[in-house]
Amino acid sequence: MTVSTARRAGPDLAAAARRALAVSAGKAVRGATRRLNKGNGTTAPGIVTLAIDPGALSGLLAEIPRGAVLVTGSNGKGTTCRMLAEVMRAAGLHPVLNAEGANQRGGLATTMVARADVTGHLPPDADAIGLFEVDEGSVPDFLPQVSRPRAVVFTNLFRDQLDRYLEPAYIKALLERAMRNLPAGAALVLNADDPRVALLAADLGNPRLYFGIDDPELARDGADPTSDFPRCPRCDGELTYSCVYYAHLGHWACGNCGLSRPQPQVRLTKADLTGPSSAHLQIVTPATEATLDIPLPGLYNAYNALAAAAAASACQLPDRSLPAMEKITAGFFRMEKVRVSGHDVHLALAKNANGYTEVLRAVLGDGQPKRMLLGLNDNPGKQPDTSWIWDVDFAPLAGLIPAPVVSGNRAADLAVRLKYAGWACGKHETELAIEPDPVRAFQTALARLPAGQPIWVVSTSVVLWEIRRWLVQHGYVGELWRQQAGAN
Amino acid sequence: MTGMRVTVGYLYPDIMSTYGDKGNVETILRRCEWRDITVGVTELRLGDQLKPDALDLIMIGGGGESQQQLVARDLCTVKGEGIRDAVALGAAALAVGGGYELFGRFCQPERGAELPGVGLFNAWTIRQNAVLSGHYGSISDARADRAIGELVVRWRDSLLVGFENHGGGTYLAEATEPLGQVLCGHGNNGDGTEGVILGSAVGTNLRGPCLPKNPALADFLIGAAVRRRHPAADLPPLADDLEVAARAAAMQRAQQRGRVRTRAGASR
Repeated sequence: MTVSTARRAGPDLAAAARRALAVSAGKAVRGATRRLNKGNGTTAPGIVTLAIDPGALSGLLAEIPRGAVLVTGSNGKGTTCRMLAEVMRAAGLHPVLNAEGANQRGGLATTMVARADVTGHLPPDADAIGLFEVDEGSVPDFLPQVSRPRAVVFTNLFRDQLDRYLEPAYIKALLERAMRNLPAGAALVLNADDPRVALLAADLGNPRLYFGIDDPELARDGADPTSDFPRCPRCDGELTYSCVYYAHLGHWACGNCGLSRPQPQVRLTKADLTGPSSAHLQIVTPATEATLDIPLPGLYNAYNALAAAAAASACQLPDRSLPAMEKITAGFFRMEKVRVSGHDVHLALAKNANGYTEVLRAVLGDGQPKRMLLGLNDNPGKQPDTSWIWDVDFAPLAGLIPAPVVSGNRAADLAVRLKYAGWACGKHETELAIEPDPVRAFQTALARLPAGQPIWVVSTSVVLWEIRRWLVQHGYVGELWRQQAGAN
Repeated sequence: MTGMRVTVGYLYPDIMSTYGDKGNVETILRRCEWRDITVGVTELRLGDQLKPDALDLIMIGGGGESQQQLVARDLCTVKGEGIRDAVALGAAALAVGGGYELFGRFCQPERGAELPGVGLFNAWTIRQNAVLSGHYGSISDARADRAIGELVVRWRDSLLVGFENHGGGTYLAEATEPLGQVLCGHGNNGDGTEGVILGSAVGTNLRGPCLPKNPALADFLIGAAVRRRHPAADLPPLADDLEVAARAAAMQRAQQRGRVRTRAGASR
């Protein structure tokens, strides 16, 4: 009897010791990275932990009693998560969130390591619920590690970082394969307006909750939904749109097989999106109707709020919690506002063609000219190709951005792009300043800025990081990990 | 250049326009406008017929395998003859990436049926592995089989710069003239050649898109298109300061990151 217990306890003890060692090692790496100021330590600790104990991620995730919600898609993952986190908190839950952008295996493991104690376990918390933004390419890897997925939210699928994912059809096939092992109770929360997302894994019996916009006044006249190559998800036929909101999102139907956009259960019925830093939304869910004032601008943030409301509905959070998403603050690089020498500086991440177009439209929604620093950077390991900048709709904005400063290691490409969009010649002739170095570009932009005027920095991430580092060094803003410490 | 007119036939703007390919069309339009050349674009979608004598410049961009499958039949049965006739009548053409592959004789995926091409270029493409066939377990597997990176090509007396991202190897028949020699990158199939040129018709793997950073190639195409109806026309030069700066930056990037080729067939 004793012998057999010992036999059983032996490997368990060894596993527990290994887990504790792995987590401690990860925590040590995390502490060291921060002390040495070598970045935020959002990925390396998790990688170290998993190298010692490959089961650490699934083991720690299994200790979250309320299961987990996963949010994936090309754009809006992080903001949707932060909105949903506010709703969860208002419902008395304690969301466990990953740091924005730390959305692949290493980053997700780091989130769990940061939360665990040195024994390799999470502190007991009956109200803890996982809330993870997951890179769409990492879903097949991450989903099987989650023991109790409550819902998987799909925001949209654009041609995001093509050189990484080859083409949307491929990432769609990969996601569908990953969904096959989803437990029966887990809900799929889907953007009905995105034909690429709406019918994902349509053969699964899991509950499906659709969200979408039902306000024709928000439709964009003359928009070309075909530029992102949407085809019928069932028969590959050509789609027609009775209304386009942005990119390929809208009210679609297949001219060939007759399939059309599913009727959403969570709907945006009215919105005022003209403010450069806020949005007024009316959202109808199966149980309630809410009027929300979100301190984030633009149509894409309206979609994020809808996705968060739909996920809350899928998780059966109480209706009264929904307005809590108004408490969301502009996240890091999501129109984040910093005060510098009497100017409001807004930092806005735009990492792909649709993101860039929508951020510019959101800021310029009121038709008033605004000062901007526009950035473009490639990233050799991750996104070496920036040809998508030619799919950004710059032409209608010519003349609305006086004296733009252009920066990043692809500043020259961006300048050419703006020239051919009619920005630097003819009637919109403007003084374009080209300065690849982000900090010098930022200083140039500030120097050219009339007293008291705000400026928007719209860019891919590298330029924003370097400007932010300068802002931290000069005390204008706190370090990211200190700000996010609460969330982790 | 008043009185001159160029008509561009833009093939499948909705389907074959994956890597900022619209930028190539936009470059042609602006560079014509800046010279007071009247320019119009005829968009040719699935099912649309193509009138060979009405077009001065035919353009097609890139697309993945699913897009190629969608247009291949239409290219052969509806537009192929018109495209070949237009080029025979002196029209210029630019075919990029997936469009370049389909302007050859055929395109052979790893699995599944061979895609017939337009046959404008005596060339063919063999894809090592079909991305969508489920052959790959992960994204990194799928990427490993692709040529992704900076591409620099010697073309006549100058250099073309851009980016390549393709899984196919394109092979030219013996008498077919490559567009140029690879100085950095992979090119057609690793044999040191890149692209193809037939009269004023160009096929290439260069993306980025390629024309904004290669104004000489843009003007080569515009010149050929204009001279189709105005044989004596000469294009006045444009101020290309921004384009030259972007070229220089791309060249520097290729030197830092690229696999620079020292002789045909070898790279280091």
